[in-house]
Amino acid sequence: MNLEHLPVVHKDGPRNDHDIMIFALSTCGFCKRALAFLDNQGFSYRYLYVDLIPVEEKNKIKQELKDRFKENVAFPFAVIDGSIHLVGFIEADWRLSLGVQP
Amino acid sequence: MSQSKTREKTELFTRMVAQKQGWVLNPDKEFYESLVDGLTANYNRYGYYLCPCRDSEGSREQDRHAICPCIWSFKDIPQYGHCYCALYFSPEFAASAKPPASIPDRRYQE
Repeated sequence: MNLEHLPVVHKDGPRNDHDIMIFALSTCGFCKRALAFLDNQGFSYRYLYVDLIPVEEKNKIKQELKDRFKENVAFPFAVIDGSIHLVGFIEADWRLSLGVQP
Repeated sequence: MSQSKTREKTELFTRMVAQKQGWVLNPDKEFYESLVDGLTANYNRYGYYLCPCRDSEGSREQDRHAICPCIWSFKDIPQYGHCYCALYFSPEFAASAKPPASIPDRRYQE
């Protein structure tokens, strides 16, 4: 997936043990919670607000995610280390996938 | 384009919906305000209160079921205690003081 031309935001934190990419909506409360969780845990990550990019670009990304992960896209949609995906923000699931102690 | 909405108008809208349906607004002030801001932004760009946690499918017709209060709220609130974006809670869930978590999106399931 080529995101180079899109306004992907890079956040730097002390933890770099996972490659984390978040697709989010700028209006969504659970997306904000998810990003705040990553900030609080000190992870480096990237995120893209897909509702703020051209609709053709957005639809392309959603279709690619759907084809790759065989799942309807809802937000936040996290791709971890290029292979694991998480849909929605359920903190316990994110902790488990990212190896964060409860 | 419909007249734009302010955050205050959106807050009033959410209070009226909650009162009419017997629901409770998300008691977490920061969470609630972020959803009000999201709803306001959606109204001002799409012309209707699209659920802040759902993406537009491209038109009002395609989004009609996801306009707040979305049709799935009436199933999600009894089942999960809150709606998909967690703006509205059942009184029982609010009283439990449990934090809301993402729930499956019925939009793609029904």
